Amino acid sequence: MTQTTEAPPAAPQPKQRSQTRQVVLMWVVLTILLELFALFVPAHLMGAPASNDMIDIENSMTVFSVTAAPVAALVWAIAIYSLLRWRHRGSGPPDSAGAPIRTNVKVVAVWTAVSSLLCLFLFIWGEVELSAEQSSAAASNGTVIDVTGQQWAWTFSYPGAGGFTSDVLYLPVNKPVTFRVTSEDVVHSFWVVQLGTKIDANPGETTTASVTPDKLGTYAVRCAELCGIYHAYMEAKVHVVSASDFRAWLKSNKAQG
Amino acid sequence: MTDIQATPTAVTPSRPGGLMGRLNIGTGVLGGLILMGIFWLIAYATLSHGPGDTDSFGSDRVICVTMVGWLLGFMIGIGAFNGPVRWLLGKDLATEEHQFLAGKDQGIGRYFRYTTDHKVVGIQYLVLTMTLFFVGGSLAMMIRTDLITPGSHLFGLQTYNAVVGLHGIIMIIATIIMVTGPFGNFIMPIMIGARDMAFPRLNALSLWLIVPAVPVLLSAAFMGGIPTGWTAYAPLSNEAPPGMDAYLMTIITFAISVALSGMNITVTAITMRARGLSVVRLPIFVWGVVTASLLGLVAFPLFMTAQILEGLDRTAGTVFYVAQNGGSVWLYQNLFWLMGHPEVYVILIPGFCAVLELAPVFARKPLFSYRTAVVGIAGIVGLSGLVWAHHMYITGWAPDLGGPFMLTTEMISVPTGLLILVLVGTIWRGNVWTRLPMMAGYAMIWNFIIGGVTGIYLSDIPVDQALNGSLFVTAHFHYTLMGGAFVGGIAGLSYWFPKMTGRMLNEKWGAIGFWTSQAGFQVTFMSLFAIGLAGEPRRVGDFPLTFAAGNTVATIGAYVIMTGMLIYLGTLVWSWKYGEAAPPNPWGAKTLEWQTPTPVPLENFEVLPVVTSDFYGYGEPEPALDPEPVGVPAQPAMAAAVPVPDTVPESVPADAVTSAPVTSAAVAAGETAVPPQVAATGEQEPGEDPAGAGTAKEEEQ
Repeated sequence: MTQTTEAPPAAPQPKQRSQTRQVVLMWVVLTILLELFALFVPAHLMGAPASNDMIDIENSMTVFSVTAAPVAALVWAIAIYSLLRWRHRGSGPPDSAGAPIRTNVKVVAVWTAVSSLLCLFLFIWGEVELSAEQSSAAASNGTVIDVTGQQWAWTFSYPGAGGFTSDVLYLPVNKPVTFRVTSEDVVHSFWVVQLGTKIDANPGETTTASVTPDKLGTYAVRCAELCGIYHAYMEAKVHVVSASDFRAWLKSNKAQG
Repeated sequence: MTDIQATPTAVTPSRPGGLMGRLNIGTGVLGGLILMGIFWLIAYATLSHGPGDTDSFGSDRVICVTMVGWLLGFMIGIGAFNGPVRWLLGKDLATEEHQFLAGKDQGIGRYFRYTTDHKVVGIQYLVLTMTLFFVGGSLAMMIRTDLITPGSHLFGLQTYNAVVGLHGIIMIIATIIMVTGPFGNFIMPIMIGARDMAFPRLNALSLWLIVPAVPVLLSAAFMGGIPTGWTAYAPLSNEAPPGMDAYLMTIITFAISVALSGMNITVTAITMRARGLSVVRLPIFVWGVVTASLLGLVAFPLFMTAQILEGLDRTAGTVFYVAQNGGSVWLYQNLFWLMGHPEVYVILIPGFCAVLELAPVFARKPLFSYRTAVVGIAGIVGLSGLVWAHHMYITGWAPDLGGPFMLTTEMISVPTGLLILVLVGTIWRGNVWTRLPMMAGYAMIWNFIIGGVTGIYLSDIPVDQALNGSLFVTAHFHYTLMGGAFVGGIAGLSYWFPKMTGRMLNEKWGAIGFWTSQAGFQVTFMSLFAIGLAGEPRRVGDFPLTFAAGNTVATIGAYVIMTGMLIYLGTLVWSWKYGEAAPPNPWGAKTLEWQTPTPVPLENFEVLPVVTSDFYGYGEPEPALDPEPVGVPAQPAMAAAVPVPDTVPESVPADAVTSAPVTSAAVAAGETAVPPQVAATGEQEPGEDPAGAGTAKEEEQ
């Protein structure tokens, strides 16, 4: 009776040790299940990436999920186990109290250290990805496209090709492009879903975003900032085409313009 | 005339409140309508034909002035200004008048008056909160119904946008007050051994400011709604219909209320604690309520500022947010999120701390590592003011600050993790009594882990480029605020319901309702995660076919949530009226509120308690815990609270405790020698018995 008030007991009793073992087992099982989920589900739900940026984003999703899975599994394992094995059944308050553990310095220290390390890892990972994105954007002197949002349409202009405008976005594959984005009225957000590009279109400001699409196909531009009644329909098509098709499309538009 | 002659004889003796005795919510509404009419006439005559006025009848400035008239008139009509006016005239209140204001002997009528008793204010907050949740929830059902299949415009896009904004702001207001309002007011003062709040009249003011603001907010529905989302970004809000004015006026009023109640709660907890209730013995819930209130006190004036500037832009031709004239949309966004992120923790911390408070009771264990919990709360509060721009990663504002904001945002996961450790550590090897409050705590753990992990993705700038503005964000904050904070609020409500209403909450139907809503919640918001990842933006009234399945499933889940919440609400109402009578301490808890009789008498304690240990000593031998010489070498049955004479005058708002002056004086004579049997907290302390018995059986573990 006297020893049990000190936490943790120096020599755990056999019952307690076997309980701890069961919790650990449950933790391992849950971790494995969550890792399987983490490896396959989030990135899959995001769809096939169509740019280097989007590949990085989906990888980050997977990495964060894989890192978080054991933490979530630990908390859930203890919670589920406590309901299975430490449950008091009955309508009145339990007669006996639980183990009077006030604190456990070792557990708190380990928990704090591990969560701080995870946080540090997260930050470094993000910084590395971010600076990679920024340096590739700085290095790129690819196609510049002016994007203008207005209620409720996107307009794309190609200043390098005479400045004609289009309501469809054509991008050359494997070539860097830089969007210069602005708005004529309220705040919009220029979002090319499969390229992982998003930047707000603000009235009175020009913001920029760069990306290198690496897969041929047709994708969607959506508006990601509530901008009025037809916000849901403020969409445009993006065609990522081969370099020669892109040149042909530019030429035909120039001729028309 | 006959009335006036009749009243003095009949009423004066039984109505010591004088003028206040005649004022209630009815006179408030009347005053509001009268002043609203007057203000409207004046505004219509003088303001409506200014330059740039397109619709002179319903112009924004007339509407704003009219709303000010309603708010002012209501507050005058209910008597909010009587106290200050009397004070200015040098007529201070007599004791009977104080007690009248506190609702003494007024039955149900005191809930419809400007009543100062903190318990009445708590119940008023509870009913107000539940009403707001009902309205906000109905709007949520409209949203999900509208989105059941692509192209199904049951209400039309205009209505859809109006409803989204209304749902958002109503739920934000409701969740901000849902714990600090009912429980922070009703429970917290008793928990710290006080007779009332530090400023009882300000307490009534903070509640009654919200009451007239609710019709103002709801009037938006008839003036084009709030088609900007609850964030009300400029310049979209500049071109919004007059519903926006309702939003502005509501926020300005609500911000005053939040700041007042934040100040009141903080001062109460700092100055009115019972003797011996040192800071390290404070129940963790008090920490939660106080820190959240302080945070609200700092954050909400910024919200008010942002909306005042917006109001000027809309009505007076200023250009604070108009980029073409040198204003900045980023200015609004900064002001908004400077409030907006602390606000998340204003919502979350009290709900989480309610669960931390009840977990030791139901696990029959001390709170695991109290100091870690305090450090966690302090860490969250400290960091929460430094993370606002993570809502602005992709706005283009200050790209160089991306890294620092990413760091602070991710750092906040460490103190949040500490709170989870405290909760899980408390459950560890507990003797878990799985009643509804505790089970809601378990649901909160589940939801909050999901909400927290998905927050990690959003804190990362590259990933946020894909997820910002998508339904993933919607699902994330519903997991934290609804699955986490709101469920924590439900846990707290289920826990304190017996003390607040004198009835037990029906366990079976409460649990059926709660778990039904939880099942629906998982279905709805897991679907939103999925379609958010797939690229559906938030706040869209229509969507392409790709997202059809996810939306339909989410809508079905929403109907399950609705069913469950209606069952839970019905159980609440039924139990409140017909439920089994509650014993004073049904859970066998140790905190002070459970040591008072039920219903809790006016001014709570006949004799103020003295605290000799903290309130978490479940399963511990009592004497070992008593480091202070103040108390008696403890009674086995007196764990935390040894009642002692009330000799602390500043803690008594109305300084006469009518029923107990004799007792008080008599005991005061024997100051130090505390009679072991002082029965200040009612006839019994049943809560101590199980724990006392528990110590004997410790060796089992």
